[in-house]
Amino acid sequence: MEAVGQRIECQWCHGQSPAGAQTCTTCGAPLDVRNLVSDSGWREAPRLRDMTEFHFGTSACQVEGELVPVAEITLTPEDGVFFEHHVMLWKDETVPVSVMALPGMVKRSFAGMPHIITTARGPGRIAFSRDQTGELVVLPLQPGMELDAREHAFLLGSHTVQYSYVRIQGLRTALFAGQGMFMDRFVTAGQPGLLILHGYGNVFERQLAAGQSILLEPGAYLYKDSSVQMAVETQKLSTGMFGGTGMHMVRMTGPGRLGIQSMYVHHNTE
Amino acid sequence: MASNPPTPPPGPNPFGSPANPAPPGQGSPNFGSPANPAQPGGPPPGGPPVGPVPPGGQPAGTPGWGPQPGMPLPFRRGPLGIPIPDFSQMPGPGGPFPPQQVPPGTSFAAPPPAATAPPSAAAPAPPGSYTCPWCSMVSQNPGASCPSCGAPVDVRAIQDTSGWTQLPAVKDMARIQFGQSTCQIEGAVVPVADVALDGGESVYFMHHTLLYRDDGVTVGTMRMRGGFSRMLAGIPLVMLQASGKGHIAFSHDAAGEIVALPIQVGSGVEAREHAMLIASGATAYDFTMSGIWFMTMKGRDEQETHFPMGQFLDRFTAPQAPGLVLLHAKGNVFVRHLGPGETILIKPTALLYKDLSVSTQLHFEHPGGTWKSWRSWGNRYLWLRCIGPGRVAVESAFVPVEDPGFDLLGSSPATRRQW
Repeated sequence: MEAVGQRIECQWCHGQSPAGAQTCTTCGAPLDVRNLVSDSGWREAPRLRDMTEFHFGTSACQVEGELVPVAEITLTPEDGVFFEHHVMLWKDETVPVSVMALPGMVKRSFAGMPHIITTARGPGRIAFSRDQTGELVVLPLQPGMELDAREHAFLLGSHTVQYSYVRIQGLRTALFAGQGMFMDRFVTAGQPGLLILHGYGNVFERQLAAGQSILLEPGAYLYKDSSVQMAVETQKLSTGMFGGTGMHMVRMTGPGRLGIQSMYVHHNTE
Repeated sequence: MASNPPTPPPGPNPFGSPANPAPPGQGSPNFGSPANPAQPGGPPPGGPPVGPVPPGGQPAGTPGWGPQPGMPLPFRRGPLGIPIPDFSQMPGPGGPFPPQQVPPGTSFAAPPPAATAPPSAAAPAPPGSYTCPWCSMVSQNPGASCPSCGAPVDVRAIQDTSGWTQLPAVKDMARIQFGQSTCQIEGAVVPVADVALDGGESVYFMHHTLLYRDDGVTVGTMRMRGGFSRMLAGIPLVMLQASGKGHIAFSHDAAGEIVALPIQVGSGVEAREHAMLIASGATAYDFTMSGIWFMTMKGRDEQETHFPMGQFLDRFTAPQAPGLVLLHAKGNVFVRHLGPGETILIKPTALLYKDLSVSTQLHFEHPGGTWKSWRSWGNRYLWLRCIGPGRVAVESAFVPVEDPGFDLLGSSPATRRQW
């Protein structure tokens, strides 16, 4: 953390919190622990403490639990969130839900993505969780940001975030990058927004410089700035009389942020 | 911190169960052995006294069904060269489960242990050094964690009343040294092993554990014998080997812990298949038949062979230079050091690793008040008996034992007990 006047700047989201705050009021990251950065340059996503609370718009989010954490949202009438319906854990009866109109329903159906995205508006409480051990990645988005996430990784987004999906470029990348055909894309236009992802296992982030690249197991990819390019590379592994097998890795090339998860489904090595 | 490390337990037994026996009436049952007679809380009184282990490893009165300990396993070569249990060579009825031959309370005797690896703790540590109570390696000024296995130096051993010691989780960002290379453990839920190769060392691994790598690290295949056997057993055909200079990282796909096992020259460990994350290039790898199996009959002619702890065990040894093996355990890890002849029953799928000196056999247990009915499995519990001396480690998150409950045709050397 860095003290800015009487404020404290969060090293994860760069939001400012009042002096003396234990956690960031924008993303919930602990402010009283140092960053955990590996020798290779990966930064561990902040482990949100149980019952941490942070704010977006005029609403609040409280993180509950540490193994499979729950995001409990207290919505005011001015705010809303969108999400995939199967991540809902519970809600107040008074919280209205509706669906977000999405183009390309047939394409989404073929790609195995939800046909609809559900929205909820305040006032009231609604809670979300996924189905595996992991951690929540809270990503406050400033106006003008574009962020891509692997499909089914996002838990919720605030109503100020524009949701769309992009087709993965290149047939080979679509087939072997472990992403399916589409990635979720989140864009903020005029207002800041909040995006919460659920990463399986532990989550690490790295800032790639322009032209810098790294090879990833495809299932490990969690999110990236839209400026980060992805392409599949295949290494042939010879096994003598058994012929051979192919190991597919995804090359991520900067500039931009790249987030990975340590627990993944191994998609695509035959 | 390093300035005040815990006092390591004396002697070559860092895990301490013999030094900390379970209090009477507590802990897991101890069925007794020549070196470790039955304790309170073990079998009910009134059973025959515990006797010495006869040559061959099984006392008189134990079931003479299936191959006996000490007898070579009757395997024959099947199609594609796959070893298949040959029940035609087995003594015993070869039919349904035989009638009980052991009175309640009868204690089994342990078969003689396998070839014992030399104890890991050797020469006394020089003054001012730190001896890790987990891996017994000696280091100077280790900092917050042991440089050989990553175990934190500022935590006390957590030992339950039965003698199991909880392996302390490697701290986030702890470093483990092997040769001139290092391995950094990152994360606490599904930890990542981030290896920084310096150009002189290599590591090998199964391909599906690879998380990311730098361009400077080259990956190739490591040839292994027994391709068909590995393929049919569901083990990857090839092991990959990474060398060069740069970072390469690995993780498994379940919440748990990474266990670092430094292997000293002349010693070794056996790990359950798929538990391995990486091993250093100085570590010799082989796989061996687990020797734990049973065969069931479904209907009249549908035979099935089950390998409750897997068909193979991964074996790691250090023939010429010290090595390092990293395992990934699901859940938490608990370690127990068995004395010579001391035994413990564990679930076969919970085994994580064991010393080469620890031998294993099957044990069938029938709870009281149950009876055999068609396709009923609730009347039969399957255990793996581990017989010391040596370390045994279990993981707390394990898949249930595969036992369909059908009639047993035979098994590897086993004992049974009706309560």
